[in-house]
Amino acid sequence: MSEALEKFRAGLSEIEGAYRPALEAAAEENALREARARFTGPSGALTELMKGMKDVPGPSRRELGQACNALKTAIQSLFDARLEALEKAALQAELEGPALDLTLPGRRPLPGRLHPITRAEYDLLDIFGSMGFEVARGPEIDTFARCFTQLGFPPDHPATDEHDTFYVTGGGEGDDAHVLRTHTSTMQIREMSRREAPLAVVSPGKVFRRDDDATHSPMFHQLEGFLVDEGITFAHLQGMLTVFLERFFGGGIEVRFRASYFPFVEPGAEVDVRRKAEHGGDPGPWMEILGCGMIHPTVLKNVGYDPEKVSGFAFGMGVDRIAMVRHGVPNIKALYENDQRFLSAF
Amino acid sequence: MRASIQWLRELTGLELSVPELAEKLTSIGLEVDAIEHFDAPAHVVVGEIRSKEKHPDKDRLSIVRVFDGEKEETVICGAPNVPEPGGHILFARVGASLLLEDGTRLDIAERTIAGVASRGMICSETELRIGSGSAGIFVFEDEPGDAPVPAAGTPLAEALPVGDTVFEIGLTPNRPDCLGHIGIARDVAAIYGQTFEMPAVKAPARVAPGVAGVVPESAERRELAWEGESEETAVDAAGLGPFAVEIADASRCPRYGAAFVLGGKVQKSPFWLRNRLHVLGLRPRSNLVDVTNYVMLETGHPLHGFDLETLRGRKILVRTAIEGETMTTLDDEERTLSADDLLICDGEGPVAIAGVMGGEDSEIGDTTRHVAIECAYFDPRSIRRTSRRLGMHTDASHRFERGVDPNDVPYVLARTAALMAELGGGVALAEGIDAYPAAIAAERIVLRHERVEALLGFSIPAATVRSCLERIGCVMKGDSERLEVYAPTWRPDLHIEEDLIEEVVRIHGYEHVPALVPAIRPSRSGSPLRSSFERRVKEAAASVGLYEAISYAFVSPAELRKARASEDVVKLANPLSEERSVMRTSLLPGLASAARQALRRQAPGVRLFEVGRTTHPRDGQLPEERETLAIFLAGAAHGPDGNTWIGGERAYDFYDLKGFVESVVDGITGRRVALAPEAGVPPWAHPRRVGSIELDGRRIGVAAELHPEVGEAFELEDVRGQLALIDLDVLRTLVGDMDPPRAPELPRVPAVVRDIALVVAREHTAGSIAEVLGEGGGALVESVTLFDLYEGKGVPEGRRSLAFRIVYRDPESTLTDKVVDKAHAKAAKAAKERFQAELR
Repeated sequence: MSEALEKFRAGLSEIEGAYRPALEAAAEENALREARARFTGPSGALTELMKGMKDVPGPSRRELGQACNALKTAIQSLFDARLEALEKAALQAELEGPALDLTLPGRRPLPGRLHPITRAEYDLLDIFGSMGFEVARGPEIDTFARCFTQLGFPPDHPATDEHDTFYVTGGGEGDDAHVLRTHTSTMQIREMSRREAPLAVVSPGKVFRRDDDATHSPMFHQLEGFLVDEGITFAHLQGMLTVFLERFFGGGIEVRFRASYFPFVEPGAEVDVRRKAEHGGDPGPWMEILGCGMIHPTVLKNVGYDPEKVSGFAFGMGVDRIAMVRHGVPNIKALYENDQRFLSAF
Repeated sequence: MRASIQWLRELTGLELSVPELAEKLTSIGLEVDAIEHFDAPAHVVVGEIRSKEKHPDKDRLSIVRVFDGEKEETVICGAPNVPEPGGHILFARVGASLLLEDGTRLDIAERTIAGVASRGMICSETELRIGSGSAGIFVFEDEPGDAPVPAAGTPLAEALPVGDTVFEIGLTPNRPDCLGHIGIARDVAAIYGQTFEMPAVKAPARVAPGVAGVVPESAERRELAWEGESEETAVDAAGLGPFAVEIADASRCPRYGAAFVLGGKVQKSPFWLRNRLHVLGLRPRSNLVDVTNYVMLETGHPLHGFDLETLRGRKILVRTAIEGETMTTLDDEERTLSADDLLICDGEGPVAIAGVMGGEDSEIGDTTRHVAIECAYFDPRSIRRTSRRLGMHTDASHRFERGVDPNDVPYVLARTAALMAELGGGVALAEGIDAYPAAIAAERIVLRHERVEALLGFSIPAATVRSCLERIGCVMKGDSERLEVYAPTWRPDLHIEEDLIEEVVRIHGYEHVPALVPAIRPSRSGSPLRSSFERRVKEAAASVGLYEAISYAFVSPAELRKARASEDVVKLANPLSEERSVMRTSLLPGLASAARQALRRQAPGVRLFEVGRTTHPRDGQLPEERETLAIFLAGAAHGPDGNTWIGGERAYDFYDLKGFVESVVDGITGRRVALAPEAGVPPWAHPRRVGSIELDGRRIGVAAELHPEVGEAFELEDVRGQLALIDLDVLRTLVGDMDPPRAPELPRVPAVVRDIALVVAREHTAGSIAEVLGEGGGALVESVTLFDLYEGKGVPEGRRSLAFRIVYRDPESTLTDKVVDKAHAKAAKAAKERFQAELR
């Protein structure tokens, strides 16, 4: 037996004895990979040993080659088994290990918000849209005629007291004066003047009044609606608005129509809602929600309609007020301060 | 309008429960806003003074022994008018609890005042809330008239006519009739199914027959109509007549009536009258003046009393003022008048501004003996213009400008003269003057029953229609199908058929109207796009993390100047303040101010958007309103996680703004915007940090960092504000013209990704390099994206290192390394040659 052969056999048996404890001692994947590399890696013991095959006498080579390959396979399968065991153990450790700190902040996408007035407006538009009303918007500056005269406001009449009006430069005198619209009712004139009945329109927007105190803002938002067709009645007005209010506030409300006065409707009404009494308790307080009425024949004539042929109803509500009621905003001024802490709350 | 329930009970003869009445009035349009109770407090009785002596040490205090009907108590009293023994006062016993005017309670208990134990309190009218303005305590013996004094121990509620409930009614301006109790009582009777009857005017005790030389022989003489008998007596009216009334402007003053009460005496009014004025919010003054106020609150018709002896020239002339004419009104203000103002003058000059306020010299004073009572009807528009112009809003102008009843003048005069004579001890003249050149008749309105039902939408019996109208005072002729209705002149709001239909349903009850739902016929001329577009914009902006702001549409000129915005503005002719005196031409001031506030309130960063209009003058037309989307960023930028526990803080910069603009426009349109050099840099923008926003080659807006000086002007000096303005009118048009996005063909073969880093001179933009890389790489290049940018250590001065990721794909087949290597080398070569780029 040649010396080289002896040495090869000794090396082989040394590796045979060493690889198992080495791989089994590795406690994690990297150590395991390192352990394997010590035997079968590019400069591993087995690899090095096999480089000495050329020195081994020819007849033994075949036998030793087979032994080397068998050893390599054994190391690999032990490695695979150990790796699987380690992975299982690691998974087990994770599943049984400490839980996450749930109180660390989540990685949120940036939150943005619509203004509460916009939200209220869209909710109103959605409901009226679903009932068949289309949406129109109009200018915030309009003529005195469209804001008052064509709506039938008597000249020099206290009815305009509640419409303390901002005038702007650039208009003419009297009816041609330019004003910041005091209500969205201007849209009745604008839409009806350019279109024929039937017509069902809601129109939200900014309005302005010369009033600035704890409960008034000189700018606020209204939503105007009107429906004109043949045979529209006061009973339709009550039915339509009751449906709207039930959809907006959900069931469980009572609706009250009571007489009121707006120069551009006749008969006119104000509408209140309250929570119904539940379980023998008291009902909620009445809340004024909107003003409405049958469109005044003078208005219909002013836009070129024949009041003997068509009739209609109109209604208007304060969007700010609805947003305030809904979100418990105590002061209308808060709606226009644009405090980001406020805006982010809705 | 304050309404006394007690008075309404007297006028209607109805019992009236307070909560029910409040609900019913509210339902018929007389909205009860508040209810105030004036109950007589318990444990307050009539007391008799048994003795009074000065406090040994305190001059102002008296030690009084009061008999309260059961026992004598010792009381310390600070009032100056404690009567002598035998006098009767109002005494609050220990245990009484008085509700004071400020809403607090005063509990009466035994207490030691200035060393003396005091049990109870001698009360003033104010302390008991039964009167106001009286000096000192209430003393029965000091009351006018000869009513017997009640015995000690009589409870307050029995001793005096007290106890009432007052409604504060928020009247709509169409109901001047309800500015008097008679008008409200008429509606109350109507809703309880009754027809109201005007109370009869009781004749005064003493009447001077004929005209006593005061009222001249003329067509305008009018006998006052009283019910009941009066004693006829002669009066000395030397020098008081004949008294003439002349109306120089009958369109502004269609009717002027006068009545006369002679030889009266000014003193305080009886308790019942003072108390009624008090609960209705008026301060009692003297009998003659109080009567005019009382009758105004009763009938709704304002009156004016003149001291007859102060009227010069024995005449009243109603005329318009001479431009610039002045007079001193009884509030001691000198008023300068215009030719549109109506004056009441005597023979020498103005004595009152008609329907608004009297003058100082002719008002009823302490020594007045003879009174001329004015009851007139003035053109409401004229009174309104005057009261607005002078800024004088009085009880009288409030009523006249809404329209009083021109035809109740004789009734009101008779009522006032009788009451004044009775309370002042004077003699009423049996005839007065009534100048009524053009009588105002009831309006005739035809009411078709078919129209009633057509407008209301339900059937209603003709008898109900008739009954409702009757109860509010209409007179009717004709048959039910076609009623001729004469509307009462106290209802100036009734002109047309629909007005009557409202009255019918109002009295019948809105609760009887059925709720029917009509079918809506869709209009063929509608255009819903405008609103849904605005909504898409707002929702896109909110969805990428911006908060919506809504700012005032008016700003101060100074703010526009700070914002370097257009100063070609639409001005408010009557602003409330300089702060809000012009319409905004830019959304910058509102957002910059909000940002400053937020940062002051310790917000780390600000990210706001607003959709609003700017206003720009146009010759001879309504101003142009341009709708704009503004995005404003300032301060600390948050990571995409919205908080900073991973990664550090940095400030918002231009590229954050660009990112928001890209995302928002993408959300609206589904397309990518590009930033291009801005040709005309807006003055508010940083000249080197600005770009125009382009979509499909059209400019839709501008994005920029604020010019540092503009930031400083808005006190944003520590942060770099970023503002984008997008013209929504342009964007809306573009969106309207756009085809909907096409569905893409999705590649089925994998792509190959290669990175390349280049060092190039700063002047070359990332976009131009990416473009050259793309062209150089040829048809296989799918995208070129910058993923790293570096300048500083390791990179030569004036140059920067840019790293791009290039995606290669052949839609037909899987690419081989060899093909990609070739394309990538070409891309690198192109960049090297074009930009003298150095490969890293």
